[in-house]
Amino acid sequence: MSFRTRILIGFAAVVLVPLAVFGLRVRAEMASRLTAEYQRRVATLAAVIRADLARGAVDIARRLAALSAAIADDNRFRQAALEGGDRRYLLDYAGAAMRSAGLSLLQIQDEQGRIVSSGHFRNEYDRLEPALPRLVAASQSGIALVRVRTAEAPLLAIARVDSVRLGTKRFTVVGGLAVDSAFLVGLSPDSELSVSVVLPGDSVAQPGTEAAVVSEVSLPFVLETDSAATLRPARIVVSHSLASLVALRHGVDLAFLAAVVLAGAIALLLGSWMSLRISRPLTALARKTAEIDVDRLDVAFESDRADEIGALTRLLAAMTERLRAGAARLREAERRIAIGDLARQVNHDIKNGLTPIRNVFRHFTETAATEPDRLGTVFRERQGTIETSIAYLESLAGNYARLYPAPAREPCDVRRVIRETMGRLGATGTPELRTDLAEDLPLVCTDQLVLRRILENLVGNAMDSLEGRPGTVTISAVRGAPANGGPSVRITVADTGKGMTRPELDRAFEGFYSTKPGGTGLGLSIVRRLVLDANGVLRVETEPGAGSRFIVELPGAGS
Amino acid sequence: MTASLRHLLLVSLLAAACRAAPPSAVPPGAAAPSPFPGAAPAPQPPLVGAAIDSTCGVIAGTPGRRDTVDVALADSIDPAHAPVPHNEAERLVFSQLYETLVRLDCAGRVLPGLAQSWETGDRWTFTLREDARFWDGAPVTARDVAAAWRARDSSLAQTVTILGDRELSVRAPAAPVQPFADPALAVTKRAPGGDWPIGTGDHWVSQIDAAGILWAVPVRRARLPVFRVETVPAVRMRDALDQGADLMITSDPTVLEYADSRPGYVDAPLDWTRMYALLVPAGGERGEPGLGDVHVESLRDAVHLDARPADEAGSAFWFADLKACSFPAVRDAAPAAGQRRRVVYDQADRNAADLAARIVGLGVLGKQGVASGLAPAAFAVALRSGGDAAYVLPIRRHVFDVCRAALELPSWSWSGTIVPLLDVRPHAVVRRGLPPLTVDWSGTPRFTRR
Repeated sequence: MSFRTRILIGFAAVVLVPLAVFGLRVRAEMASRLTAEYQRRVATLAAVIRADLARGAVDIARRLAALSAAIADDNRFRQAALEGGDRRYLLDYAGAAMRSAGLSLLQIQDEQGRIVSSGHFRNEYDRLEPALPRLVAASQSGIALVRVRTAEAPLLAIARVDSVRLGTKRFTVVGGLAVDSAFLVGLSPDSELSVSVVLPGDSVAQPGTEAAVVSEVSLPFVLETDSAATLRPARIVVSHSLASLVALRHGVDLAFLAAVVLAGAIALLLGSWMSLRISRPLTALARKTAEIDVDRLDVAFESDRADEIGALTRLLAAMTERLRAGAARLREAERRIAIGDLARQVNHDIKNGLTPIRNVFRHFTETAATEPDRLGTVFRERQGTIETSIAYLESLAGNYARLYPAPAREPCDVRRVIRETMGRLGATGTPELRTDLAEDLPLVCTDQLVLRRILENLVGNAMDSLEGRPGTVTISAVRGAPANGGPSVRITVADTGKGMTRPELDRAFEGFYSTKPGGTGLGLSIVRRLVLDANGVLRVETEPGAGSRFIVELPGAGS
Repeated sequence: MTASLRHLLLVSLLAAACRAAPPSAVPPGAAAPSPFPGAAPAPQPPLVGAAIDSTCGVIAGTPGRRDTVDVALADSIDPAHAPVPHNEAERLVFSQLYETLVRLDCAGRVLPGLAQSWETGDRWTFTLREDARFWDGAPVTARDVAAAWRARDSSLAQTVTILGDRELSVRAPAAPVQPFADPALAVTKRAPGGDWPIGTGDHWVSQIDAAGILWAVPVRRARLPVFRVETVPAVRMRDALDQGADLMITSDPTVLEYADSRPGYVDAPLDWTRMYALLVPAGGERGEPGLGDVHVESLRDAVHLDARPADEAGSAFWFADLKACSFPAVRDAAPAAGQRRRVVYDQADRNAADLAARIVGLGVLGKQGVASGLAPAAFAVALRSGGDAAYVLPIRRHVFDVCRAALELPSWSWSGTIVPLLDVRPHAVVRRGLPPLTVDWSGTPRFTRR
């Protein structure tokens, strides 16, 4: 598992676990308290309904008493009921009386239980229903829940019974108030509390544990059409819907989920940012460190950070600097060995070149001593040998002349050397040569000849990379980053030539390796050694087909 | 039918006959033909219409000229129905606007209408009145009669032969003469751009003003009054009396009771023109005990209007036998018959509601049966479908053409059961001093010409 992954997981765990514990606890506490509150409200409403029913019973009794008194005083009713007078008046009487008394149910029966007049069902007259008043009167509280017929639909009502005597006949008056949806809604103080009536035989859906909070009020029930004619229990069920609780839970769940998602996202972003802050410079350091090689000690480790990564960067920079110094010393040793080898080689080569000359001169000496008249002839015969040897030696001299003598370390004006070099090379006309020289360049500490050779080699290679095609070679010089406590100069030779591939770049600084026909393969090798000898740094940036940039950084004269 | 019921019906029949058409009022040789098919034997109508006598007078009236008669009616009047009335209000108004070839008085005697004379036989030949004119003044020709009939009874119109401008012959009808007095065969022609078809009656509709008051103006006869007809809600009928209405047709007992208390008015019961019936789809509740044998004598107190147990008027009800109409067999006309145990009625008809409630109260449909009132449009749909246990609705008691009237009933009823419940009649409340008011055979009141 990567360091970055571990940081992300750690962040997520630290944020989400406490959030989950908090959310679940809030959810459980909220459900518990709301359920208790619902139970209290349901119990209170059930008590209120009991009180309302008691008051309703008294109210219905009062109205029925008034109605009975009115019937007793109504001569037209008396005549119709006792002597068969105005039948329609009798039939319409209960309807008008019921509306006047504010009742929903009113039925007047004679002693046989025959319906004389009915308010809620005018045209049920003459039907025998003796059980209805008998059962209502038999209820303990004096009121009962009754379901009676009407023309359109059954009517459920809370009813009680009164009676009135007309002459020798007693008439029973059953009156009540409808228990309809409006009545039940009136009992509910809010929409969450519902009141319903459950009659015997009604199938009641068993509420789930979280469906509702329920309380009940019992009431005797009379079904008018019941052939058994018995009182049976009915219930007024008060229930409090848990819909709001469920909705609240749902809302909390959503909010909690949103918080988890948001917190998780923030944790991931923060973790990712922090891990990037940590891993990115480490990755860069690792990449640069991987580039370090004996031949590639020009890798720059720079950081202005004050933390551990900055310290590590500076340590790596110091280590690279030590490696660079060590490599320089190693190269110096190698150079000295090489010079020794070269001296031996020169000695050998000169000897090889001088041996034929010495032999020819020895021949000349012998001929002059023994046959002086043939000296001319012998000279002509051996002249070629001498000339060949001399040419060989001249060639040697030319070759060795390319080897650099120990440079002199003296302040050198980079701008002037660059202008002089470009002036000589620019005489050819092609390609286009450009210069971009900063005004405030410090002097560098190196031999002017060395600097000239460096520039000649780099510019020459740049011109050769164009391979005769139009292009530009730009040489620029700017003040470089301070090095070893002193100023530095950065010289860049850039071309628009063919560039180098990676394999070509890897071998570019090897001696006697060249991609140019007829090239000696010593140019870049010599440049690199000259730069290192001047305590400078040489870097190459190249891209096949786009050109190359050779960057030379030389320490200032005061470094 | 129980013996007591038969007895009651017989008594009612005799009472109604004595009141509507006393034997002494029928002229010798012109006895009233039975308006019902199958009634025995129907004498031929006289060649020339009988004179109006006092037999059919509802209000004797007093001589004198009235310029305007204010009429208050409870039902609405729809020009689209003209000339076939759908309620009592339209019956009164349309009778003033449109004419048929002949008319029948309350005793069934034939009176001239557009035709001044006629001859009977295999074909009947009618001669139109010489002065017969449409409202626009155009003379009424035999071709106009054929054209009017073509729109409403194409089979009859196909038998018409034009014999002259004022003479036509037609196939003899199945019933003696009633079809020719049917308002459905009134002679009209289309009014270009107008709501009301152009008729030939004494009055024409000059306007219906912004207040919805219809003005029927005499066409030619200056002695006739202008009718100002206002449709008044039931709850405002007494107000209309207080405001001086001259004529009111109503069945509301409260209004009639109030009219009786007003000295300037006369309450005249009209004929038993309508009958409430229970229509039971075949295969529905008919087989259950009780529904086909409702105790009709107990229904009278269930309604709030002048009613009596349904009376066959001496013969069978007109819908008792519709085989002669040769209606196509109706199959599966009521696929859901009896599935809904309810008696359905038009909720705009209080009397139908009362009767349906009484039927439920009698337990005819059992303890679960209910009465259900539907809005008029919904009731019409339910009636056509025949998916309920039974339907309570008013039907015409007198019909001019049995087969044409049967088409007004749902097709399933032709093979179902129609249980007559109650005959009902409206009353005319008439201000004293108006011209004489008579009723014709269908119970339609008319002011007579003097």
